[in-house]
Formats: sequence, structure tokens, C-alpha cells
Amino acid sequence: MSIEVQYRDRAKELLAKGEVKLVIGYGGGSTPNRRRPVFASSPEEVDRLVLDSLCIANLSGYLVTEGLLSDEKKVAVFLRPEGIRSINILAAENQLNADQVVILGFETAGSDIRPLEGGNVLDFSEFIVTLSENRVVSDSDPVIDKLENMSAQERFSFWQDEFSKCIKCYACRQACPMCYCRRCIVDCNQPQWINTSAHTLGNFEWNIIRAFHLAGRCVECGNCDRACPVNIPLRLVNRRMAVEALNSFDHFAGLSVTQEPVLASFKKDDTETFIL
Amino acid sequence: MAKIGVFICHCGENIGGRVDCSKIVEALGEHPGVSVSVEYKYFCSDPGQESVKKAIRENHLTGIVVAACSPRMHEATFRKACAEAGLNPYLCEIANIREQCSWVHSDKDMATEKAIDITRSMVEKVKLNNNLHPIEVPVTRRAMVIGGGIAGIQAALDIANAGQEVVLVEKEPSLGGHMAQLSETFPTLDCSQCIMTPRMVEAAQHPNITLLTYSEVEKVEGYIGNFTVRVKKKSRFVDMQTCTGCGDCYTKCPVKKIPSEFDCGLGRRTAIFTPFAQSVPNNPIIDKDHCIYFKNGKCQLCVKACKFDAINFTFQDEYLDLEIGAIVVATGFQVQDTAMYGEYGYGKYPDVITGLQFERLASASGPTAGKILRPSDQKEPQHIVFIQCAGSRDPSKGVRYCSKICCMYTAKHAMLYTHKVHGGKTSIFYMDIRAGGKGYDEFTRRAIEEDEASYLRGRVSKVWQENGKLMVRGVDTLLGRPVEVEADMVVLATAMVPQPGAKEFAKTIGIGYDEYGFYNEAHLKLRPVESSTAGIFLAGACQSPKDIPDSVAQASASASKVLALFSKDRLEREPVIASCNEATCAGCWGCVLACPYNAIEKKDILDRSGKVIKQVASVNPGLCQGCGTCVTFCRSNSIDLAGFTEKQIFAEVMGL
Repeated sequence: MSIEVQYRDRAKELLAKGEVKLVIGYGGGSTPNRRRPVFASSPEEVDRLVLDSLCIANLSGYLVTEGLLSDEKKVAVFLRPEGIRSINILAAENQLNADQVVILGFETAGSDIRPLEGGNVLDFSEFIVTLSENRVVSDSDPVIDKLENMSAQERFSFWQDEFSKCIKCYACRQACPMCYCRRCIVDCNQPQWINTSAHTLGNFEWNIIRAFHLAGRCVECGNCDRACPVNIPLRLVNRRMAVEALNSFDHFAGLSVTQEPVLASFKKDDTETFIL
Repeated sequence: MAKIGVFICHCGENIGGRVDCSKIVEALGEHPGVSVSVEYKYFCSDPGQESVKKAIRENHLTGIVVAACSPRMHEATFRKACAEAGLNPYLCEIANIREQCSWVHSDKDMATEKAIDITRSMVEKVKLNNNLHPIEVPVTRRAMVIGGGIAGIQAALDIANAGQEVVLVEKEPSLGGHMAQLSETFPTLDCSQCIMTPRMVEAAQHPNITLLTYSEVEKVEGYIGNFTVRVKKKSRFVDMQTCTGCGDCYTKCPVKKIPSEFDCGLGRRTAIFTPFAQSVPNNPIIDKDHCIYFKNGKCQLCVKACKFDAINFTFQDEYLDLEIGAIVVATGFQVQDTAMYGEYGYGKYPDVITGLQFERLASASGPTAGKILRPSDQKEPQHIVFIQCAGSRDPSKGVRYCSKICCMYTAKHAMLYTHKVHGGKTSIFYMDIRAGGKGYDEFTRRAIEEDEASYLRGRVSKVWQENGKLMVRGVDTLLGRPVEVEADMVVLATAMVPQPGAKEFAKTIGIGYDEYGFYNEAHLKLRPVESSTAGIFLAGACQSPKDIPDSVAQASASASKVLALFSKDRLEREPVIASCNEATCAGCWGCVLACPYNAIEKKDILDRSGKVIKQVASVNPGLCQGCGTCVTFCRSNSIDLAGFTEKQIFAEVMGL
């Protein structure tokens, strides 16, 4: 039985028994190699679900839609490992009750796809610990290597070029499961710290602030990167912040539902290299 | 319409010498919203302040900027002047053109430009300042003194004698600290215990002092006037109420060979013990690590010996949460472990001992009952070599600082020895004799002239054993030649270092410390007994190496600070506090974690039927210290700090 059929059956069963009120999964997109989210609230709708290696979007962000979980009913969601980590962060940051989320986990490697056992996010604890242990800081990416070898000046002009493309559409923000604020800082205009016009300075301000807001929280799901209509390699910024959080504070984002946010928590043995 | 007054202070030559004040006056005079722009030599002086008040009244100013020194120096001064002139004190801002400008720049034109920018930026800020009113908080009139050595006891007694309640916390089973271990004290040679033990007893019996021995501070929360301190009362396994201190238990205890901490390993103690005969309180404790019962469940000889059924092996540690208004930290020092001086043979040769061990040998209550006897064979040494600065003033192996007391105690040791062993010879290797203090130089002179201590100026390179003698090789730099001295005993004047857990403890209670772990004072010269945290004061050697008179003086000084704090019913707190916008707060609790004062609470927002619709952060104004950590953390910009609002800071930045 293919994983697709297996998960469809499970989704159908969850809905039929009334264990969940909604299943968030993937369906066919506008082209054969695209997938888009599908929201199934009855067993009949489940047949629209597709599950293959092209299902890469992190769907966890839909869970924090205002009011979705306020009736205390459960929702099932298809998640890759990054998505499961997102659930941990959202739970740690009090945005959802992890017990209301039934995870239909899977992971992909190339065109292979395999299921991940478990339903509640706690079932995946060991799996995530393994992920954090196997995380190689230098899992290299030719563009990252190139960036690391640049001088500060070269790197600045690289990003200047990239950010000059930004049209301030905020698709990155809308796609990101971590951008759940009711009012985004960029929408504050009294005072207006971030210049809203799409010129390089304002673009820098926006993208750098977003990177800082994701420090120690980004699970590198790539939603922002894929959402960007002008193809700014946003994942590189976030990857760099993740590496910093890992190296400086041994912080692997989304390790557990009780993990404290790296920028708000203090430990007695934190390095104080910044104090001169 | 803003009417801002700008007052540019010359601070004598401090600002005026480096910055063209007239140019600032001119530039600011033309700045929009500025009604008054004047300069003066010293605005902090009486006539200076009067001129500010006059300007406020005459021009109906809506805010003022004083371009002068750091706000740490005179913000309070000018706020007070504002208040006296009928302007809300929080409508006063200080532009720091001294520390941040004139003191650090040499080019006059550029420094002037910078000073203008700094002042302008503060004008833009002050235009957006609001009236703020101080918050009043109650003061808990109960002090806690941490550490029951001479400093802690003195502070506790001073506070208690003034009629205030004190909780005195000591981690060891008895009060006394290091002073109880000493033999005689310089420069008068009065017996340390004879002057110490009456103080210990007085502290224990004082109606205003609650004594918690064998107890440790685990956690400090809250703020000045309103701390909550968690104290762990470690179990003694002896009921303090029924125990009479008769000593039957420890005479029966079969484990008798435990090196005594109080005697620095020179004496022995039992598993159930009192640290020394004059311990206060005089109730024994059971050392769990050495007691046979705790190892294999047998023995209980002490239980049988006790006529009062005071011993109970099932007693547990207790935790007390105490409401405290002020804290005096008097946690003391340790002597440095001399193991790093392998060449001096400490630990290898039993007759190489530390200064503190010598104190125990010379003490009437010590393991030898005051006779100077060699630890190796209990014979009277005929020649003792003292090595000063064994750790102090040695950046390569020991510590960089001078431990301050070693010159004096070494001279004292030499004297005590010659008084006890007639005909005994002493040689002292020293770098300098530092004998500053009342009667101190006279004391060292007496050691040299009357008691014939032989001082050799130079360092010792090696100590080794030869034919039953200790050989000391050093250099006499005054004669310019190497010397070898034969000795029966060698005493190292070891450095005074912070307690081993000093840094950790500083983090627990929230005070600053230096590279070594000595606690930082708020100002080295002007606020030497206050820590960097309001309401926490320092006394004794936990701040820096000190002798007894200095420790006692500092203890009394901190007691006076505590009493000043307790002299009022309510404390006025700065209204610079954070507040949360409940409409935009996402309830991520980052601020709750980030807040170092636990001032942010989780608040439920309910609908009409009482159902929780969302949770938001809510700042407790009594606890908030206005540090702004939460503001910087909040991703949705939902928290703002009164006096430093986003709008004000933005205006300040844009004014540059």
C-alpha cells in the first residue's frame, strides 16, 4: 500500500470518527509538479489529498489561523520534520496547544517518501533529538560557502543586490509559520522604524529585522524562499542565524514543546564573548 | 507648542575647554521649539540651578535639556530643580556632552558639531516627554545578612540594635567565619576568639536577630524593599530545640579521624560534631558523608548516647521563603589553594603550612592547644621561614592583587612564635612590607626590632627536604646574592581569594563581580558598600581583601545604608516602567522569560461569558525596574517603556 493511500485512509478514519475536525494536507497544484494546501473537513474531501515527494511546503502556519483551534477540537496536519519542529516552537510560544494537533508525519529524500510514526508531537521527540544531533553545522551549500569566503564588503554588495529586488510584498511573512503576530512591526507607523517604500534601505531594514525575529526560531522549511516572487535567497540569511544560534548557545530550534526562546532566555553558562 | 529651554554647561574647563559652548547656544537657539538657549560655567551650582528655575518660570517652559555631564551625575539634581520650578521632573533631559563628547575628543570643531547633535537629539526627545509620577512601594522592614563572619555579625548587630529585624544566614554550622579561627589579632595582639565569641553570642541571643545557621540562600527575587529570598535550611539531624549541646553524642561517635575543616586539617573531628568548642549555636550536626548510619544503616551510637532524643536521621532539608527589604552580603573569602606552587612543597612536606594553619597552631583552641608544634613529628620548631606573597602579586601563578593582610599577619606570626618558643628564630622572605594602617607600621617595626624577625627581601625559588630539615632557597636582593636557609617549618602567606562559589552566588542574587569573583561596589570611591543592585549591600572580604577593622567598618557602613532605607514607610520608585499593548500582544511569553525581575505576568482576556479568548502579557508596575529588556525582545512592538517610548527614541535618533 502506498504511503499516499495509507495516509488518506488514516485521514478518512480520523474525520469519520470525529477525532479531528479538519485535515490539512496537500493537493494538486496549477502545474503537475506543484502542490497546494487542501483543507478537508469531511471524509469525502479526503480523496483530493496527494502525498508525494513534491509535497514540501510547511503547513504548520495554517494552524495558527485566528480561531481555528479555539473550540479545543483537534486538527490533523501533514508535516515534514521541519513542520514538526514548527509545532514545537508554536507550542513553546503559546500559540497553540500541541495536544490539539494530530501529526501525519513524513519525510522525503529525493523522490523517496516515507512515513514517520506517531501522532502527537511528543511521539517525535526522539526523532527530533536525533535530527539535532546529526545536524552538521557545515552541511554545505555552494552559495553559503561562496558567501562565507567573501569579504564583508563583498557580502554587503551581494545582499544589496539581492535586497534591491525586494518589492515589499511580505509574501515571506505570510508564508512563514513563525510570523503569527497580530500586528507586524512593519505595520507600526507611530513611529515608523521600518521604511515601507521598496528601496534598498527599507528593504534592508525589513529583511534584517525579519532575520533577527527568526533567530533561533527558523526551522529552515524554505517557505519564505519559495514564496518570494523575486527569488531572494532568504533561506541563506535564516540558515546563517540558525548556525549562530547553534554554535553560540547550543540552540536547535524546535527541539521540544518546552524549549525556551534563545533570545529571551538566559543561562548562567551562556558565553559572554560580547562583553568586552 | 513646545517651549524648550536648553542649558549648556561649561563644567569649568571640562566641557568649555574642548567644545565651543557659544556655538551650541547659537545653534540650539535657532532650533524649532527652543525658547531659551543659554550657557553657564557650572549649572549644577546653586546660582546655576536658580537660573534654570527662573528660566522655567519666566518662559513657561514645557521641557528642558541640560547639556552637561552624564545623567548619572546630575539628572537627579536638575529633575529636582524642575520640580521646584513647577515643571514635572520627567520633562527634564540631560544631553551628555562631557563623558560622551568633550572628554573623548581632541578636535574642537568636530567636538562642537557633535555636542550640537547630541543636544539637538535630546531636544527632539524632550518634546515628546510626558508628565510621569513616582510610584510608591512599601518597604519590608526586615534585613537579611548573608554570612556570619565578623562582617556579617557586625552588620546584623548594628541593624538589630537600631530596632529593625534581621535574618542572619550562615552556611556553616556555626557563626564565626574566619575570625573565629584566628589566634591573636594585629596590631594589638588581643585574642581573636576572646573578642569574637561575645559578638557571636550577642548576635544569637539578640531579640531582633533570627539566626539561620547551616543554611544557604538559594534564590533572590523582587527588588529593593521587597525581596523574596528562598533559604535552604540544611538538615542537622539534630533537633535544635531539645539538644542541650552536652556533647555526649560526639564523645561516643566511632568515626574520629575526619580532618577538621575548622582546624584546616591539622586536627580531627567526629562524624557528629560541633566545629569548635565555642560554636554558636552549640548544637552538633551530623556529617552525612562520613556517618556510618548514612553509609550502611547501622551504628546509631549517638542516638543511644543522647539523653534528650534530639537526634533524628529522618530530618529533611527545609525551605523558607522570607520577605526581605534589604540584603547585606558578607560572604567572606577563602585562602588560595597553594597547590600551584609545587616548588614550595605544600601538600608534599607536612611542615610546609599556610598562614591560616599557623593561626590554628598558635590558637589556644587549636589542635595543639596553642603550642607551636610541627605537624610531622609534633616537635617544637627552632627556626621558621615565612614566605610572603605566596600567591598574591604574582600574575603568572597566583593573583595580581595584593591580599593586604599578609604582611601584617606574617609579622604577627613571627612575634607569636618568638613569644611562645624562646630562642626560636624567624626568617621572612618579602617583596615589600605593606603596613599602612593605624599602629601597623609600629607593629612590623616591633617584630623586627624587639622580636628579632629577620626580614630578607626577595623571592623564594624552592623548598626541599634534606636531612630532616626543610631547605629554603631564595634570593636576598638587598645583598644581591642567593641564600639558602635551613628551617624546621615553612609558613606560606597565602593569598586571600573569593569563596569558591562566589561568581555563581553573585548570579543567584543578581549582583556584579570582578574577574576574580570579588563583588563589585556601585562606585569604588563614593558608593563602596552598595552593590550594583539597589537594596543589596556589601560588607567585608567578599568585596576585596580586608583586615578585621576594615571589614567591621564596612559592615557598619552597610548597616547604616540599610537603616536609611528602613527609615521610610514607603519607597518612591521611578515611574520609568514598561506597559503592554493588549490589543497587539501575541502572547508568546518571550518577555515573561526575558524579564530579569519577574515583573511580567500572563493575563487572560475573557469574553462576556467568561471564556478565555486570548492571553496577553501584563506588566506589574511594582516589580518593573524599567530596564527595557522586554521592549527589545517584543517582536510585535507591543511593549513600551515610559520615559523612553518608541516615539521618543525615534525622535531622538532622527534628531541626530
